[in-house]
Amino acid sequence: MRWLMLVALLFVLVGCGSDKAEETTVEAAKTFGDGITLTEVTPISEMFADPEKFDGQTVLVEGAAVAVCEHRGCWFSIASDVEGESLRFKVEDGVMVFTPDIVGGIMRAEGIFTVNTLDLETTRKICAHNAEEAGEEFDPESVTEGMTYNQISGSGAILLKAVE
Amino acid sequence: MKKFRKVCRWLHQHLGFLAVGLTLVYGISGIAVNHAHHWDANYQRGVEVFMIEPAGTGPTLDLLPVVIDRVKPALEIKNSWRMEVDILQLFVEGGQYDINLLTGEVVYRTFKERTMFYDMNFMHLNTGKSVWTGIADAFAGILIILALTGIFLVRGSKGLKGRGGILMGLGFFLPLIYIVVERYL
Repeated sequence: MRWLMLVALLFVLVGCGSDKAEETTVEAAKTFGDGITLTEVTPISEMFADPEKFDGQTVLVEGAAVAVCEHRGCWFSIASDVEGESLRFKVEDGVMVFTPDIVGGIMRAEGIFTVNTLDLETTRKICAHNAEEAGEEFDPESVTEGMTYNQISGSGAILLKAVE
Repeated sequence: MKKFRKVCRWLHQHLGFLAVGLTLVYGISGIAVNHAHHWDANYQRGVEVFMIEPAGTGPTLDLLPVVIDRVKPALEIKNSWRMEVDILQLFVEGGQYDINLLTGEVVYRTFKERTMFYDMNFMHLNTGKSVWTGIADAFAGILIILALTGIFLVRGSKGLKGRGGILMGLGFFLPLIYIVVERYL
């Protein structure tokens, strides 16, 4: 019985220790919205590999913020664990405001992952806008089907403290 | 009526003084954010383009120290991201470098908070929430009291029954016309 209690105590101590380690690794320098409630991070690459599986699910993602909305600060892009991939974290205007100084910092962001398909007309408008911004020629007929994109409708996020 | 007018005058006078600071904050910031499509009301942004010797498109870990050294020796970066095979981004305090690994073109984008405007917009847009929500609500209440008490300050032909009434009608008419034309016609 004593042995059992000792083993149980050891488990509790180890458990406490690992909790503490987890807490220190996710210390927030800045909290946005409701912050985060989930603890398990889902790799973005996993979501991109099978978007339908995660469609509508509340997820927690982690990665470097690599772009931010310059106009209203209503979204930021978070880098995936796979080079070149990024996922947009979007909120309603004014609910949370993401400032340019978060870019380059490590974010943990929570919200509902959604797979969105645009109609052909909207897709052409977006492509035309992107081409105009890039100073390129654009032929609307070159786009023949609606665009599908993934994003997180955000409920909260934290900017992790930089490791000294 | 005389006593009511006296109360209105007292409220208008005292709340008027109280509201000066916040009215300026909301007014100036209002103009600033009203033209958000013309300028960035919060940040001064800069772009500088220069060339470095192209580093090629090898593995990021191998490239990174080489590119940093070519962009600016001993540059302290917050993070980096390989946006595309030929585009590497370096994030630094107050800006970022977008480097074309094939051509060697570097676009250095910077941002800096606009003095005063950033803080005024922060208050106006209630970015910080919490205690400012209460202050802003109280200020909105004060503005309503100022508007209502102002109606009764002047009597006679310059008051509600004369010129004042016409101006007040105009103040109601303009937003009404705008919204009907813009939204319902």
